[in-house]
Amino acid sequence: MSNLITREKWQTIKSRYSIYLVLIAMIIVCNSLNENFLSPRNISNISAQISVTTILAFGETILIICGLLDLSCGSVLALAGVLSVYAFKETGSLTVAFAVGLLVGVLCNFINGLLVRRFNIPAFIATLAMMTVARGCALLFTKGQNIYQIGDYVWFGQGKIGFIPLPVFFMIIVGILTWYILGHTSFGRSLYAVGGNEEAARASGINVGRIKIGAYLINGAFVGLAGILLMARTNVGAPNSGQGYEFEALTAAIIGGTSFSGGLGTAGGTLAGAFIVGFLNNIMNLTGVDSYLQQVIKGAIIALAVGYDMWAKVNRTRKSLSAVRSPDERKEAKG
Amino acid sequence: MKTLMKTFRTVTAVAALCLATATAVQAQDYKVAFIARAQADSFAAWLANGIMEEAKKYPDIKVDVMDAQADDAKENAFIENSVANKYDLIIVQPNNGEAQRPYVEQAVKDGVKVITTNARIKDIPGSSSVDADPYEQAAVNARLALTQIPQDANVVVLNGPSGNMHADMRRDAWQKEFFDKRSDVKIVGEQIAHWNKEEAMRYMEDWVQANEKIDAIVSMNDNMAAGALEVIKDDPKFDKILAYGVDGTAEAMLLIQSGRMTSTALQNAYDLAEKNMSVAHDLLTGKITQIDTDIDCPLVTKDNVAKFIEIHKKSGAIK
Repeated sequence: MSNLITREKWQTIKSRYSIYLVLIAMIIVCNSLNENFLSPRNISNISAQISVTTILAFGETILIICGLLDLSCGSVLALAGVLSVYAFKETGSLTVAFAVGLLVGVLCNFINGLLVRRFNIPAFIATLAMMTVARGCALLFTKGQNIYQIGDYVWFGQGKIGFIPLPVFFMIIVGILTWYILGHTSFGRSLYAVGGNEEAARASGINVGRIKIGAYLINGAFVGLAGILLMARTNVGAPNSGQGYEFEALTAAIIGGTSFSGGLGTAGGTLAGAFIVGFLNNIMNLTGVDSYLQQVIKGAIIALAVGYDMWAKVNRTRKSLSAVRSPDERKEAKG
Repeated sequence: MKTLMKTFRTVTAVAALCLATATAVQAQDYKVAFIARAQADSFAAWLANGIMEEAKKYPDIKVDVMDAQADDAKENAFIENSVANKYDLIIVQPNNGEAQRPYVEQAVKDGVKVITTNARIKDIPGSSSVDADPYEQAAVNARLALTQIPQDANVVVLNGPSGNMHADMRRDAWQKEFFDKRSDVKIVGEQIAHWNKEEAMRYMEDWVQANEKIDAIVSMNDNMAAGALEVIKDDPKFDKILAYGVDGTAEAMLLIQSGRMTSTALQNAYDLAEKNMSVAHDLLTGKITQIDTDIDCPLVTKDNVAKFIEIHKKSGAIK
């Protein structure tokens, strides 16, 4: 009997926390491949390396759960970043620069939200349009040139709080915020409801339009923050930075179990997804894997990780259905 | 009466507009299209700004800049459109020389004068080219490194995108001018960082973990070298590291001035712009019919960096 409970418990853990099991397995394998892998400095490096895309991924998670997405985050990040750097160079104030970065991110995403809500433009198209506009604005503003000599602004990307690099600190804060919003607020519950079934959510009295705009506004603040961190980390205001980051963010969210059909996803899962990609990149560099081969291995392992996660979840659903069936139905299903 | 006045005003306005347009067209005899590889690429943007600046010196030439956004299909479409719109000369900054080759060949066949620049597309009869030699740009650094990089050194190498002519030729120059001659030097890390600073930072962070000793950073452009140096800037273990790049960006100049970067080869977009416009003018006015020419790629070290910093002060990149 106790064996049975243990087995059942294990099955539950396996199905519910499959992505974390993949992450643990990866840590074990990576550690056996390189002795430096679990060194504090390496872990700190990996965390700093993934911080920008993970912050974007938290925003994408909130949007995808609500049945939306943001293709413009890489471009808006660049626009928010260069304007923030410019504000710092003009005023010398980190506070003003920080506020400008956040404001630009929020403003662009407010427009995304309006396009989706007021004009019923699909999120894919609305954010695709914003992607082009924001990148164009960043290039127009800087005439395509990088902004150098950014002085103390680098503190956002290279400073530390205790032993924690500042980008990692912000990533943790944004992660906690996402976890709290999704799991502990009525707004978070509404996000799941809208993403799961928009009509049912509307029928139950949820203001769907407001929830969608709210999701974009939160995403905007995250994108603005990511822009500030990226420019500060690289010590340059680069209008062409962040290209392809939208896909890295989406990859982390999807690997972390966020369902593209909406209504499913967690902050913890997204963080795990981001670390899986970060660990992969890191171990392949530490062990000197060829650049081209890295892409092949990365694709294959991502497919395997997501495949295992999906398989575990399907098994869990099948078992739940089987548990609620009557003995006759069970016989029928078997027969 | 009112209707008559209205008609009179409209006719006068249209006539004035036609006159203004005709005057403008008369003042600028030649139409030139500059098809930039990607204005999101800071060097391409610098070149495009330089060409617009330089064009002001030629009142008989009107230049239109087109942005191919690093897309072969867009770049080829711009070449076709420029021919169809009867531009007298097209300056092509290829995204991928071989992809643009048939379109440039067709433009030449259609009687349009073509200059290929940064990088040139070789062996197209009738077309001209203005470039900096990518092999030489890396070679001047490699020859300096021969005397600077210590015995049994560990080095890391940052490459540009594979298939890009400048990336491949710069790497080739390092191989022939340095690595083939220094079998004692070990490459402990080599990756493609796509000219990108952030990507180079990620690689360097990992290499620093995996290797106790790194003596030099060999980078195919300045941006990646600057990224690698950003990672180790506060680490006393790497105080004496050598770092080589190419391009002569404002950031590299400042790093060389501060002693953190060793050398770069300047690819001056202003020189490139100046030469492109002068060749364009000579081709259009019939002074020459074909030319292949290169700008210099001077080696920049701490000894001579001051004079090159002036170039970036002129562009506003360094205040």
